[in-house]
Amino acid sequence: MNFAFTDDQLALAAAVRQVLAAHCPAEAVRNGRTPAWSQLAEIGLFGLLVPQEHDGLGLGLVDAVLPFEETGRAALPGPVAETAVAAPLLLAGDPALGKLAAGSLRVSVRIGDQGYAPDADLADLLIVEREGVPYAVRPEAARLTPQPGVDRRRPLFGVEFRDAARLRTGIAPAVRAVTVAVAAQLVGAARHLLDTTVGYARTRRQFGAPIGSFQAVKHQLAEVAIAVEFAAPLVYAAALAVDRHLPTVDRDVSAAKAAAGEAAELAARTALQVHGAIGYTGELDLGLWLARVWSLSAAYGDPGLHRSRLRTAILDTPEVRRWP
Amino acid sequence: MDLDFTRAEQDFRAEVRDWLAGHVPGVPLPSMDTREGFEAHREWEHLLAGERLSVVSWPVEYGGRGASLVEWLIFEEEYWAAGAPGRVSQNGIFLLAPTLFSHGTAEQRERFLPGMARADDVWAQAWSEPEAGSDLAALTSRAERVEGGWRLHGQKTWSSRASYADWGFGLFRTDPASARHRGLTYFMFPLDGVTVRPVAQLDGEHGFAELFFDGLFVPDDLVLGAAGEGWRIAMATTSSERGLTLRSPGRFLATADRLVRLARSTGADPVLADQVARAWLDAESYRLHTFGTARRLAAGEEIGSASSMGKVFWSELDVRMHALALRLLGERGLLDGGAPDAEEGGRWLDGYLFSLAGPIYAGTNEIQRNIIAERVLGLPR
Repeated sequence: MNFAFTDDQLALAAAVRQVLAAHCPAEAVRNGRTPAWSQLAEIGLFGLLVPQEHDGLGLGLVDAVLPFEETGRAALPGPVAETAVAAPLLLAGDPALGKLAAGSLRVSVRIGDQGYAPDADLADLLIVEREGVPYAVRPEAARLTPQPGVDRRRPLFGVEFRDAARLRTGIAPAVRAVTVAVAAQLVGAARHLLDTTVGYARTRRQFGAPIGSFQAVKHQLAEVAIAVEFAAPLVYAAALAVDRHLPTVDRDVSAAKAAAGEAAELAARTALQVHGAIGYTGELDLGLWLARVWSLSAAYGDPGLHRSRLRTAILDTPEVRRWP
Repeated sequence: MDLDFTRAEQDFRAEVRDWLAGHVPGVPLPSMDTREGFEAHREWEHLLAGERLSVVSWPVEYGGRGASLVEWLIFEEEYWAAGAPGRVSQNGIFLLAPTLFSHGTAEQRERFLPGMARADDVWAQAWSEPEAGSDLAALTSRAERVEGGWRLHGQKTWSSRASYADWGFGLFRTDPASARHRGLTYFMFPLDGVTVRPVAQLDGEHGFAELFFDGLFVPDDLVLGAAGEGWRIAMATTSSERGLTLRSPGRFLATADRLVRLARSTGADPVLADQVARAWLDAESYRLHTFGTARRLAAGEEIGSASSMGKVFWSELDVRMHALALRLLGERGLLDGGAPDAEEGGRWLDGYLFSLAGPIYAGTNEIQRNIIAERVLGLPR
């Protein structure tokens, strides 16, 4: 029993964090579409889940979960979960995996509970589900309908297509994996919002004292810390469940996404409240993370959908099991 | 990262499960907060100790098995899942013993730990005073230096188990010129030299008591750690109380499983069903989180103030689960064990009243949130 990340897993996350700190500051989130992507490709982020025979690292989702927390912490733009997590599974066995691992194939997907393809206008390849089957669609064969929304740095698109190649892989494994990756991003975004808000509360003074010295503020931030602290283990366990193909995997994935989404939404709501009016302006970077939390929490099934599935999984099955 | 139990851990689980299946009383013991129930729980502890199952994580020489933290967590899962009795020796084995291991002398360990493991000596904690609750450092009970030891004066209150226990432990001011956290000393003392006034609780039983000290003589060998170091030593104990060592997930997992079974048998509308599913998953999250903590502790890390997050989480979860059970049962949920229609002998109601103490003891959850904000997040005091 070692429910803690290994030194290798921690080192990989630290490398991603370092790259993002250097190449994906808030300014780049605000203005760029794919900042830090080439540097992330160099350290192997897009090959994490690609088998070694296709020049990837051949690792598991549990190795990707902390790097994905970091992409969420940085609010990294671009279809990173779709390219680095969904695509390697959907394209399993495909020669395109080599390009994917090298970071020269950007992929957007519309699968599972996701109604739209995020950042589809940036994609070199679209993978779209139709009646439970994945199809690979070249950008020139796709008609994209922009569906602008709250997160302008993660634009959504409706996808229609003419020519498409039917893929031989299943949808479900890719949906599970990308859902866990997005849950990890939500945990990372929540951690960023908590850190930023604590920093603000330490320096902003009212009534002659830092507002972070007031218990009404302290207790709200303590609640966020607790929510994030107890959402993260569910995300890590779901990654293990995916890698191990456990019988409880669908329940574990729903638990991860629901808990991470709710924790991140609480972090966002509290961050805005503690910042006060300045947080409500577009001048502060805070709004970039608020919008990212809202859009990711709704992606691949919002907390309401996953809670509904959890209710069924826990109450309507003959015996509810814990693992291990 | 993995979640795999070793072969030895699985064998240990099987052994514990088998033994409990053959020995857990079929009829629940009377409340440990009655004289009769207290002694019945002491007898149960004797039985556990005979199998070296009362303190599995302690070294063999004191009655344990030298089990790892993960094995202890396994033991706790099995213990509560089997519906085994509450632990009358809890204050001693989970609060005092860790302090004896870290700050006691070899003589103190040899003298007290084996009796504690067998519940020959049941210990009561004596932290709070009438004017020192959440603000524990405001305590005024004092110890006066005399030849060969100390004389204790003052009053303690809300002393759990003290109505029927044999020994107590707590902090007394040994430097009259000191204030707040300084000048305090950690004492152990026999309760037969103390005036004990049992206090009725919400459930009508006398689980805690007031203690009046009128010059009880305590020899030097009942001082734990150095004189004047009491606060630092006690804090090591209280972080055990709110952290891992006392609050293993086992009890909450068992409650969550019972709650799911109850919701299935009574039927639950979607609103309550949603809350039941959430509670079950929160218990699961606490379990996973604890496996992570156990790993960090085994690697020599200290969890320190982060344990306050767990304390808020489990204590509120425990209240929520029991409140949900009462909601599922409706009017019948509020019947006590004496009522013919009571569900499981009123166990959900008893558990609800017990759970309500959780957000209050071991530092109220308001104090815990201050600790989280100031010491984990770094907000100004």
